Amino acid sequence: MAELWERRPAEPDYAKLSQNAGPAENRYGQLIDLIDLTEAQGQALPKNRPLGINDNPSVGCNPLRNKQHGFYFNADNCIGCHACEAACAEKNETPAHLAFRSVGYVEGGSYPDYQRLNISMACNHCDDPVCLKGCPTAAYTKHAEYGAVLQDPDTCFGCGYCTWVCPYNAPQLDPVEGQVSKCNMCVDRLEVGLKPACVSACVGNALDFGVIETVPEGRQDADATIPGFPDPRITQPNIRFQQRKRLPDVLTRPDSQPLEYRREEGGYRSGPVSAGDPRVSGSGTRGWGLGRLNSRENALVAFTLLAQAGVGLLALGLFVDGVPLGPLLFAVPALLGAGLLASTTHLGKPLRFYRGFNNLRHSPVAREGAGLAACLALAGSGWLATLADWSTLAAAASALAGAAGIVGLYYMVRCYLIPARPFWNHWQVVTAFAGAALVFGAAGVAGLQLAFAVDVALHPLAWCLLIGIGVDGIGLGFHRRAMWRIGGEGAAAQRELETAFGRSYWLRNALLLASANCALGVALGVVDSAWFWGGCAMAGVAAALSRAFFYVLVIPTTMPGAFFWRNSAFADQARQTGLANLPQVGVHPGGH
Amino acid sequence: MLFGRRDQKPIAIPAKPVVEWKYATCNYCSVGCSIELGVDAAGKVITSRGHGEADVNRGKLCIKGLLEHELFDSPGRGTRPLLREDTRTAYRPVDWDHALDHAAEGIQSVQDRHGADAFAVVSTGQLMTEEFYTLGKLVRGCIGTNNYDGNTTLCMASAVSGYKRSFGADGPPGCYDDFEHTECLLAFGSNLPEQHPIIFWRLKEALEKRRFPVIVVDPRVTMFAQWADFHLPITPGTDTVLVNAMLHVIFAEDLADRDYLDAHTNGCVELEALVRESDPSKAAQICGIDEDTIRTVARLYAQAPAAMSIWTMGINQSTHGSDGVVNINNLNLVTGNIGRPGGTSLSITGQCNAMGTREWSSCSGLPGYRLLENDAHREEIAQHWGIEASFLPRGIGLKQTDIFPAIEAGEIRGLWLIATNPLTSMAHQARIRRAMEKLEFCIVQDVYEDVETTAYANLYLPAAVWAEKSGCHTNTERRVNLTRNAVEPYAQSKPDFWIFTELAKRFANASTMNFAVEPEAAFNEMVKLSKGAGGALDISGMSWDKIEAARGLQWPYPEGTNADTGTPRLYCDGQFPTADGRARLIPVRFVDNNETPCADYPFWLNSGRVVEHFHTRTRTGKLGNANKFSPTPYMELNPDAARDLGIAQGEFVRLVSRRGDAVVLAQLTHRVPRNMLFVPFHYHDCVNRLTLGLLDPYSRQPAFKQCAVRIEKTEQVEAGRLNVARRAY
Repeated sequence: MAELWERRPAEPDYAKLSQNAGPAENRYGQLIDLIDLTEAQGQALPKNRPLGINDNPSVGCNPLRNKQHGFYFNADNCIGCHACEAACAEKNETPAHLAFRSVGYVEGGSYPDYQRLNISMACNHCDDPVCLKGCPTAAYTKHAEYGAVLQDPDTCFGCGYCTWVCPYNAPQLDPVEGQVSKCNMCVDRLEVGLKPACVSACVGNALDFGVIETVPEGRQDADATIPGFPDPRITQPNIRFQQRKRLPDVLTRPDSQPLEYRREEGGYRSGPVSAGDPRVSGSGTRGWGLGRLNSRENALVAFTLLAQAGVGLLALGLFVDGVPLGPLLFAVPALLGAGLLASTTHLGKPLRFYRGFNNLRHSPVAREGAGLAACLALAGSGWLATLADWSTLAAAASALAGAAGIVGLYYMVRCYLIPARPFWNHWQVVTAFAGAALVFGAAGVAGLQLAFAVDVALHPLAWCLLIGIGVDGIGLGFHRRAMWRIGGEGAAAQRELETAFGRSYWLRNALLLASANCALGVALGVVDSAWFWGGCAMAGVAAALSRAFFYVLVIPTTMPGAFFWRNSAFADQARQTGLANLPQVGVHPGGH
Repeated sequence: MLFGRRDQKPIAIPAKPVVEWKYATCNYCSVGCSIELGVDAAGKVITSRGHGEADVNRGKLCIKGLLEHELFDSPGRGTRPLLREDTRTAYRPVDWDHALDHAAEGIQSVQDRHGADAFAVVSTGQLMTEEFYTLGKLVRGCIGTNNYDGNTTLCMASAVSGYKRSFGADGPPGCYDDFEHTECLLAFGSNLPEQHPIIFWRLKEALEKRRFPVIVVDPRVTMFAQWADFHLPITPGTDTVLVNAMLHVIFAEDLADRDYLDAHTNGCVELEALVRESDPSKAAQICGIDEDTIRTVARLYAQAPAAMSIWTMGINQSTHGSDGVVNINNLNLVTGNIGRPGGTSLSITGQCNAMGTREWSSCSGLPGYRLLENDAHREEIAQHWGIEASFLPRGIGLKQTDIFPAIEAGEIRGLWLIATNPLTSMAHQARIRRAMEKLEFCIVQDVYEDVETTAYANLYLPAAVWAEKSGCHTNTERRVNLTRNAVEPYAQSKPDFWIFTELAKRFANASTMNFAVEPEAAFNEMVKLSKGAGGALDISGMSWDKIEAARGLQWPYPEGTNADTGTPRLYCDGQFPTADGRARLIPVRFVDNNETPCADYPFWLNSGRVVEHFHTRTRTGKLGNANKFSPTPYMELNPDAARDLGIAQGEFVRLVSRRGDAVVLAQLTHRVPRNMLFVPFHYHDCVNRLTLGLLDPYSRQPAFKQCAVRIEKTEQVEAGRLNVARRAY
């Protein structure tokens, strides 16, 4: 039987795994022995199970293979030499535009009292792998061997949700292959007692690897974080740090994320860059941002708005008197179908869409899709029942469809409550989505009433419209206040919204205000009912703008990039100038 | 699985189906790392790994070495010889016979019309030593031009010159093992973590075991400077002032090693007299390092039981590079730090085989450190090669940096470029382009047919690369190491060795000469020649098999030696290869002839290397996982200066000097002072459009790192277009 990995004839000691078994529990109180952990969880797994790497049935010789392992990073020692990244790329044969491990940096001080802090980061094989829980296709597995969180690209359909929830930018969405892949902990090397390729290659003696909570020889600390690293409470990442040299009070990033890190009690805290910092282009000047508003997430703007319109229409249509059931049950599946189709076009591998329900156990994305698909199917069945004049059945199907739609919208909200994305992680998602459902639902019901010449009752619908706009507006107000208050990535995104997108932002606010006035006027009967349609139109444009802001502006709590690599401003520039057409530039020319 | 799926998912990790590992020495820089190349059943090199038993790298490789096996089939490789009579017409493919006939006829035609020296040959530090030896034999023995040099004049000439002036011979006296013994390390103008990562790792390993002070002299806050115990942010070009001030303190405080000076050196009185004028308080005004720091560092260095200096281009690429080297040698002689474990004057060399070309290429004389000026040496080599001694010139010809002005002046009419790219690497590109346009006949021999020089050539000869060939390199610590052939040459490309021997057959002298057919036979010829050389360069105990078994052997390695590694240090006995056996202390006066910042051009322009690229990017610019870390030119600019100029991060700017302009992206960082820019030199049509490159009087090495520029804002779309147009890779 072939070896899992061929060791070198005289493998140096630095490449060999330490046999330090570590304590029983990690700092979060979780058992480090993973067999014991599974036993405690009531589903004990056996020892000595093969990992099945490349269908090889052999079991590694490493006696600590059932302990949770993790990386160790001595930030004082990292020289930013890219050896870890190159070793990783060479071993995993990743193309230039992808990387399982990346080195970024933050810097601060004033010449010559200047310091750069390089941060080398791959997957942290977390105790609480949010990627695994988020993935709708169940492509992820956390193994009882080394605690490795491994992902199967052949299962993945390329929705990219794992790349949203991961705070460390570990999962890599490949725009060429249309699927995600990521760090595999070099489990083949671990099985023969060797540290991962990146660790073995480290030239600064910065990277190390072993059972979590163990401190390598010659090192003292096992800190949970360093400046620039996201809050470890989000996922309990299996990485430990040493960083002893005092750093400057303010650290900036070389990439285009408008963030900086300031020394505070107990560590560094991220926040928006200082005003007028020349490191960030156009900072502080108010623009429309229209170029950036048109993004890869357009499909999701369409999907969410259409789905909310569909569910809103169904809910209102069932409650408001005089809505013809047949057309209603035709319109709802049409909207949902269009929305789901739009969401499918957003996938890297659209033909694998059916895998979106694989992970109902954990994934809000799977549940969102299941709820909406059920709503579509039930409403569609109801429509067929209306054709056959089975009115009881149609009524029952429409009620069930409404329930399924509400479930779908609930999980749609849950999809965006992501701790690694503070701009989203706020109850405003509820008001935005519910508001949109009410606005589009009211407009749709009115439209159906008009089209089928029943009694058009605009007064209650105007109240619905007003409530929808009001709910959305109140949410936006609280969200703005909350973002500025929490600081960090949320405040940085809010500042981008009010500066780089400032004109669009005020246009959106004006549209909301004007549409609310129209709705109020119609509701109180003080203006002509034609204003209802004007209100709907303005509220609809505002909702679309809001949704585009929502997707484009979010700043993840992710690792800093470098000046070229992992810098979206450089990637955009390379695409515009045509430099990205050279594959060795490492920027995919088609965007992402 | 802990949680996730109930069924076990397959785990797919790229397998490396290696059937044989081939031994090689890295073909990039001078560290000399041993690499094993993994060859699959189809004969393709699919992976590489550092050799765990090699003393140099002990299993480690830097980013370039880790990805080096990808270059065999990287884009732009030359597939067949290309010929055109007129450089304004298109190339047509020809067979090798035709190409080599044309090369020989072209060379002879230029020589017939304008004299033997009107044809120049400029080579490199990238070939195998056997190839250098054979090229020297061809150029000196058959072609007979005296205008023959390597691009090592751009990187190591000042170190060579300085070693010769101080110690009487070339050859770095120290080794990497000195890190394990030193008590103080002083680095001048060396960005070790980026330029020589594996040497840096050796230093780091030594420091993990034992703390000792590290002092870094560099105008830029490199990772090395940031990481050092002392960073001396020196004013560009003033290193001799700093060292003189250190020597002043050492003599004034009686910290010199008088016993060593008395026993092994000459010229101490003159040196002491000169440095008496270099009071640190005065020196501080010039070099920008405060007097207290100068005193502290001087005392630290002199009082350390063993102290060593390393340096790179910050010293060598200067109008007084040779003097800078001499002064570092002075410092080490005065403190008794030569030939002592942990006490040395170690020039960290540039290219993988810069040492090989110094030793055996005949660029600076005759093989084995022999001299053209020496009648006996000429006789000996002429007899060995089977030519008339009178065929050899009685003195050295022009250096690379003087060859281009001679082309401009019309003295040289033909040029053969071998594995070098002056259209990116030479200072003051406008002049180089004009010179290239004036050539009547130009041959480019290179691994890549997209190298920019082919635009000016008549004949392109596609060369094999690295482990498509076999042969030796000599590294910074005089270690001769081997590359075995691992893979067939790409398409119709040929090993440089083959090209040289085949071309030689087309010259008259070849009838009486004997050219080795295989590189190993050429090595054995060098082994024989090294016996009588007289100096330390003795490899007479070496063979390819012995070298591979030892993973490299350090010369001197005389016949009969059985040591595992060879000789780690030179001059341990205090005997120097000078007439009286004593080292020379040479007083160095500060010369300030640099172009310095002024009102019109207010910024210092500094240039240097980044870790992911090698030289002119002909190789690393094609490898995505290296190139992506700096795929296009940029400058480091101080954010305070950027604010004054209204320049944002990532914006294109136009740099203007008295020689030309260049477009770069602005990277704002406090790594550089407010009046200095740093631009990596790797990019075509970039920093060397701006540089002045005044020459060192001894080494003829250009001062790449000292000139003045201004920054102008530029139209972004046009700048982006221009930037893309200026590079094919």
